[in-house]
Amino acid sequence: MDIKIPDNVKEVIGKRGIKEADIEAVVKEAESSNKKLVKNGRNLAKKKIGDVLVYVDYDIDKGVLSKHAKVNSAYTHRIVLQHIVNADGPSGWTCAHCNEAAAFGHVQMEYMTVKRNGPAVVCAKCGDSWAEEYLATKTLAAVEGLFEKKRA
Amino acid sequence: MGYEELFPGMDAKWHANATKRFASPFVDVPTDRIDVDPIILSHAAVACGFTIRDFYEKPELGIHCVGYISHLYDLLAVTHWFYSLPWCRELGLTLQYKDTLPPISTGPIISEPGQVDNIHVPDVDELMKGHTLPEFIRMYEYVAKNLPMTLVPISYGFDIVGAAAELCGVENFIMWTFTEPDAAKKLVKKYTDTSINGADGLARKFGMAMLIVGSVLANNDIFSDETTKEYSADMMRYYVDQSFRRGAGPQIFYHLCGNHETDYKVFKDTLIWSPFTVFHVGYKGKEVFPSSLLKQEFGNMATIMGSVDTKIMINPNPKVVYEQSKMQLLGGRDSPKGYILGNSCECPPYTIPGNLLAMVKAARDFGTFGTW
Ligand SMILES: [Zn+2]
Repeated sequence: MDIKIPDNVKEVIGKRGIKEADIEAVVKEAESSNKKLVKNGRNLAKKKIGDVLVYVDYDIDKGVLSKHAKVNSAYTHRIVLQHIVNADGPSGWTCAHCNEAAAFGHVQMEYMTVKRNGPAVVCAKCGDSWAEEYLATKTLAAVEGLFEKKRA
Repeated sequence: MGYEELFPGMDAKWHANATKRFASPFVDVPTDRIDVDPIILSHAAVACGFTIRDFYEKPELGIHCVGYISHLYDLLAVTHWFYSLPWCRELGLTLQYKDTLPPISTGPIISEPGQVDNIHVPDVDELMKGHTLPEFIRMYEYVAKNLPMTLVPISYGFDIVGAAAELCGVENFIMWTFTEPDAAKKLVKKYTDTSINGADGLARKFGMAMLIVGSVLANNDIFSDETTKEYSADMMRYYVDQSFRRGAGPQIFYHLCGNHETDYKVFKDTLIWSPFTVFHVGYKGKEVFPSSLLKQEFGNMATIMGSVDTKIMINPNPKVVYEQSKMQLLGGRDSPKGYILGNSCECPPYTIPGNLLAMVKAARDFGTFGTW
């Protein structure tokens, strides 16, 4: 499948240190395993690459002969998402793999050997979890910074 | 002369240790002892010879008093300053400073449920030109200059229901929860949306903003568990969720003051928990909320803060404070995500220093890591 990354998205992912090859790897794996979140045609997939979890938010355009993925955004976090703690509200996303509504809830998060709870989108059926872009780039980025400072 | 010239400087060695102690419950690194946070506000000013009015009217002086006296009492490494009615002036109220009280509202209140629709929620730019946000920014800039190692920019959603109720008068508000629930809910939402814009503004200015939000008016003395959930817990969740989306957080302090006899149960699966969350409950009925129960119910969710009854802080009997501190420490000190010893609410302005130091002594005697 072709992957199209608009110039403005290229600029953002460049600043975030994400390679185009990483994006391709995330999308290819998600499309072959169907492990991703979907919402009104939007897809959110993730894959562990090195020390970080790389997320790609993309649309799939289906042409007559082939389909391609158009990337809306990509981002990363280093904190590790572990088991689901609770699932307490609607998220608007569906787990494509389970074809079940994913919930807004909490997971155990681990960073620098410390385990604490944090919010995430969770699928109670398969136990998978995801951090949306605002959460990863704002909240979790700040959490990682605080852990690094306070553990120092 | 600036206020900074009134205070001796902070001892760097003390501060370095207090910083490690403050970080300890969040990162599983034991330090000398459990931290004590008696929620000092105007007591700091009184202890330094100023008045309660000075504390609220002169935030830079007030927060310097907090930093100075926290050092001497061996408390937190960070500073704070607040009052219970942030964002209310921007929503139409006038606040009056009092000699012996925090600022109070002198109205004008709205008296008809239909008037709620006319309340305009100020956006971030409008808040920047208002009172609350510039006052906090000015104060944190003072801290950044004069007490930089203690700086944590904090945005106050504070008591969402209580502050919203001030806009129509507390009696009207409680009545509306029965007769006009839609208007009452809309009023709380408008106050909350204003607070969220405030958190956004502070986060834009400082790159972060710790969130403090509570359930004070909404407690079991006046509300059922369901009403506390609908008006308070749900809106606290909304406040934190929206503030996170705007770049505020990730630190959260949940402050449940007043009687949370049974309604404490509605918060666990309603609130948003971040890795840097402190959860605090004041009372269960007329008694302080037992730290053992707090640990059992919330210890796996977040760092918990136990309570010593504020009422006993002004009685000349340090032993009573010491014994209650001991009971709470023994009940909560091994909570899996950390424990802090606090007061059930703001420590009273005329708190007896010997009582406050009894809390610290109890933390040294029963809150020393490795001895339990
Ligand atoms: Zn699933």
